[in-house]
Order: sequence, then C-alpha cells, then structure tokens
Amino acid sequence: MNAKKTFKLWMLGFCGIATLAVTPVFESTPAFAHGERSQEPFLRMRTVNWYDTEWVGKSTAINDVTYLRGKFHLSEDWPRAVVKPNRTFLNIGSPSSVFVRLSSKINGTPMFVSGPMEIGRDYAYEVTLKARLPGHHHIHPMFAVKDAGPIAGPGGWMDITGNAADFKNEIKTLTGETFDSETKGTATGVMWHLFWAAVAIAWVGFFAIRPMYLIRARVLAAYGDEILLDPIDRKVGIFFLVFTVTVVTVGYLSADAQYPVTVPLQAGEAKIKPMPIKPNPLVMEVTHAEYDVPGRALRMVVHATNNGTVPVTIGEFTTAGIRFTNKAGAAKLDPNYPAELVAASGLTMDNEAAIQPGQTVDIKIESKDVLWEVQRLVDILHDPDQRFAGLIMSYTDSGERLVNPVWAPVLPVFTRLGA
Amino acid sequence: MFRTDEIIKASKLPPEGVAMSRHIDYIYFIPILFVTIIGTFHMHFDLLAGDWDFWIDWKDRQWWPIVTPITAITFCAALQYYNWVNYRQPFGATICILALLAGKWVTIWAAWWWWSNYPYNFVMPSTLLPSAIVLDVVLLLTRNWTITAVIGAWLFAALFYPTNWAIFAYSHTPVVVDGTLLSWADYMGFAYVRTGTPEYIRMIEVGSLRTFGGHSTMISSFFAAFASSLMYILWWQFGKFFCTSYFYLTDDRQKTTKVHDVFAYATLAHADKAKTSGGKA
Repeated sequence: MNAKKTFKLWMLGFCGIATLAVTPVFESTPAFAHGERSQEPFLRMRTVNWYDTEWVGKSTAINDVTYLRGKFHLSEDWPRAVVKPNRTFLNIGSPSSVFVRLSSKINGTPMFVSGPMEIGRDYAYEVTLKARLPGHHHIHPMFAVKDAGPIAGPGGWMDITGNAADFKNEIKTLTGETFDSETKGTATGVMWHLFWAAVAIAWVGFFAIRPMYLIRARVLAAYGDEILLDPIDRKVGIFFLVFTVTVVTVGYLSADAQYPVTVPLQAGEAKIKPMPIKPNPLVMEVTHAEYDVPGRALRMVVHATNNGTVPVTIGEFTTAGIRFTNKAGAAKLDPNYPAELVAASGLTMDNEAAIQPGQTVDIKIESKDVLWEVQRLVDILHDPDQRFAGLIMSYTDSGERLVNPVWAPVLPVFTRLGA
Repeated sequence: MFRTDEIIKASKLPPEGVAMSRHIDYIYFIPILFVTIIGTFHMHFDLLAGDWDFWIDWKDRQWWPIVTPITAITFCAALQYYNWVNYRQPFGATICILALLAGKWVTIWAAWWWWSNYPYNFVMPSTLLPSAIVLDVVLLLTRNWTITAVIGAWLFAALFYPTNWAIFAYSHTPVVVDGTLLSWADYMGFAYVRTGTPEYIRMIEVGSLRTFGGHSTMISSFFAAFASSLMYILWWQFGKFFCTSYFYLTDDRQKTTKVHDVFAYATLAHADKAKTSGGKA
C-alpha cells in the first residue's frame, strides 16, 4: 500500500464520519417542551401546587431583563413515594440557558444554593431573567427536590428578539474588575489547552517520527530492549520533565499573583421562611372523589364551612398548573396565563350559590375538560398511590381570595364502559 | 542522532516491509488506537468524573482534585503497560490524555456550545497533560513499574491542581450578588440555567479533609496522590492481564502445556517449532 492509497482510505473514512455527523443536523427539529407531561400525575398534583404564575414580558429583546414570578403551595398530601423537601432548589425549565438568571428570590430571600422547605406552607418567588438567545421558548418554574428530581410547573411561552452576538452580562467583582460571563477566562483556558497539547504532541511526536510499533515489537522479541532504549530518549525525557514542572510552577504562581483574592466555592444552605399563614375563614375537606374516565372529569364532594363574616364563592380548582374555572373564577383569570392550561368553563358545581357566613354545605364539584387527557393526568389511574391534591380558590364579594388546599383518594369510574 | 537504522537492521525486515510497517504505524496509531481511546476513555472518564470536569461550579478544593486524577490515571496505566511492554514506547499516558481531551473538546464544541449554547468558559475542561507527560518520563527514566507507581503516580495527581489553577484561578474571584458572597464560578453556575442539574447535585466542599487550618487543597492533593498510586498499580495489572498472550502447545508426545508469553511474535516461533516437530498449536 502506498501513501496515495493510504490517503484515499483516510479520505473515505472521513467522508463516512462526516456523513454520520451531519445527518442529525438535517433531520433534527426543535423541541418545544421538556417532557413535563411525562411526569406521573401524583408527582405533579400532590407535591407543588403552583398558582399566580406570571411570565412577565412575553417578548423581550436581547440583554433586556424580565421576570418569572408566582407562588406555590407544598401539598399536605406529599406522596410517600417522593422524598420530603428537605433539600430543594427553585429552578427554571428552559431549552438551555436562553435567559441568564440574574436573581432568584423566595419570599424575598435570595436562593443561590438549595435549602429545606416546609410541607403545607406557601412560598412566593421571583426570578429575574436576562434575555440571551433569540427564539420562541417554553419556560417553566421548576421545583427540584433532592433524591426526588425536578418537578415542572406550568409552562408559558416567552419570545426573545435580537441578535445573540449582542448579549453581554458584565458583573463587577469584589476586587474591582469587570467580568463578562460569556467570555471571561475562555481565551486563557484555550491558550493553556493549546499550549499543553503542543507540548504533548511534541513528546509523542518525538517517538512517532521513528518506527513505532511493528519494527520495535520484532526487535524487542528477538533481542530484548537494549537496542530500543536510545540514549537520546533519556536526555529528551529529562528535558520534558524539567520543562513541564517549571511551566506548571510558573503558571501556578503567575495565576496566584494575578488573582490574589479568591474564595472557595460557596456550598451553604438557603434559609427560607415560608409565607405567614393567612387566616382563612373557609374550611374545606374532600369527603369523596372519583375520576370519570370516559367523561374526563374529576368529581369531588367538598364539605365546606364558612366561619367568616362575608359570603364566599368558589371560583377555581387548580392542580398541576392546570386551571378549571367557572364564571366567578374566569373573571379573575390573568389573561396572559397560557390558554392551553385553562378550562375556562370547566368547573361546575351542584350548588353555585355563595357559602354564607356560618353555613356548612356539601358541594359536588366537577372539573371537566379534555385537559385531563391532553396533560396526561388521566394516568392517575396507573399511579402507585391513587390520590389527587390541588387548590380551590374562592372569592368574597370584595374580591378577596381564599386559597384552600384539598386532597383525597380518587376512585376510578368507568361509567360508559359499564353502561 | 537516533538509533533508527540500527533498529531497522535488527528487525530483519526487507525495505518493503519497513515501508509497510510505517503505513501500519500511521493507520494503527491514529484511526485505530487514538480513536479507540477517545471512545472508551472519554466515556469512562465522563461517567466517573464528568460533572467535575464539565462545570466550572464543580471545580472545588476537595473533590475535584481527588476524583479527576484518580479516574484519569486508570487508562493511562493500562496504556502505558501496553506501549512499554510490547514496544518500549513511553507515551502511553500522554496519548491517553491527548485522546481524552480531543473527545472533550469535540463534546464542548458540539454538545455544550453548538447544541446547548453554553459558553466555553462555563464548560472548560481541566487538563492532565503535564501530569501525563511526567508519568511517562518517570517510566522512561526509571524503567521500573513500582517506582513509576510511587513517584510517577504521585506526581500525576500532585501536579493536577497547580496546572489547572493557571486556567481556573479567576473563577474563584469573589462577587456579591443580592447581598450574597459568591465565587465567580458559583455565579456562573447560578446564572446559566441547567434544567436537569439543580444546585444540590453539586458534590463540593463536603467531607472531613478539613484539618491543617483549612488547607483542603493540599490534603486533597496528597490523598489523591496516594489513591492514584494504588489505582495505577491496579490498572497496570489490568494492562498486564489484557496484554498477556498465551497458547496451548501440544508436542509430539501429545503433552499439552499452557505457554505464557507477552511477545506474540516469539510465541509464534514456538508454535512453528511445535508444528515442525509434528505437534499442533
């Protein structure tokens, strides 16, 4: 085989590899979601009950700042199959870092590191985001629980316009320098990698310019290594040893001199207090719940007592970021909330009248919509623990909102199948 | 300058054989050996030490200098054995780390930057090339596995942190965000959203290597050096196991013996001898 043939074989090999590498580029299409519907219903319904989620600024220019804010309630009916939220982190579900996160506060406390949260309590969060990559992005708040995994909240679309190359994120350090998070350290890192690669190639190349394998193996087998151990190899080896150790030492000392003030990585714990418990005169308990499989409806019987002084009207049932409202609830809906997560007239009751002060009633509430199917919450029938949890929102005439967490076992009903 | 002519003469190959052997060198060296190391070592390394190497906010004083050299010295030891015992070539560790970094940079460019849009500085890998060169040189100079395991492997791990401090020192510069003190690396890890990698996943700054006035890095480096020695010995033995050829020789008296010999060419000579004397191999 001559050099020309070897070259041809190499080129053929490279063409093959290039074909394999390029194929996905033409075949791939953008992903528009993050598999949130694939999470089991009990995980989405009975851990974090999201509400008041707000995607501020549906369209943002590169470098502009926007917010993702809202509240969540950690369900009292936290599943046994999920580790308790002893170490949690509020995250963002996004297709890569389309925004950079400038700040994340829960109840006003910054959350740079993870920390514990309390079941049965409410938290308000605000994440400050700076637009980085143009596109049409599906953004979720996400609650990550150690040993349980991330739990996705409702997803909303946020558009970013402009040119990605214009993005800058400069921060002033405590030592007075200004670092850009997109570029700081890249040139130095690449330079060192190239430098050491060149040294390493020189080291290997020193042996590669001479016969490498077959000839040496034959000589070694026949005569031992006396001939193979060339005296110049030892001299060059000593040179490389001294050179390498010297450059490492000089590099270390010069970096130390350039950055004399450093701190270790911070691995603390966020200490976040829950929101104060707001007095709620409305007491609710679910006494029976069933899921109508062909009817795509969750029905529950709620035993409710109004201990307050003003009438209260039920307007919404929300679970897993999906909202079922009646007329009263629909009037309170944020028009910017993703329409695909709302069943505006999906909530019906056998008694629509307001619950009067001092009154105790049993109300049959039905939340009915194809959303149960679309959001794959009907899979509750396949859960290891067939229960649901969510929040019922009620309103006084003056507009005050009362939030009641509810939970109960769910019985499946195969009404039409049985008929 | 070199003993090349003497070596070629000793190989007793005709000129065509010598030319062919160089083609074999090139074909074997780059497309086969190098690419195979990329595929296997890169995967092995990323499974064991990947997060410390991917993310800037994982490069701490305790785990990063321990996990990375211990994981990296494995294939280096095995490849060193293979290259030294069969060919007396002292570049097994260096070629290993070169291949690892080649795979790393393909991933950084293709997966982290082009596909996932993370900036290079956020996913900059560490380098072990000086460590690998020193490991190879120690083997060349001492020609002794035990000394290489003790001195070379210690240097391999001990050089890791100072080598990489030149690349990553800046990332420990303090910043204050929302009234909280962070290192720049912490800030980067916070700013660039990783949906599937919440903060608590980081295995950093946990453990009991905290005596000697908080000089965690020194203690970690010494511990890594000690563990690297042990790991080197283990993987050198793996290399020995996989490089050792043996065959069963049946002589003309129908007596079968197991012959161990790491030199395949020599064993073929044995086999030929056995055949010519009426046996089979």
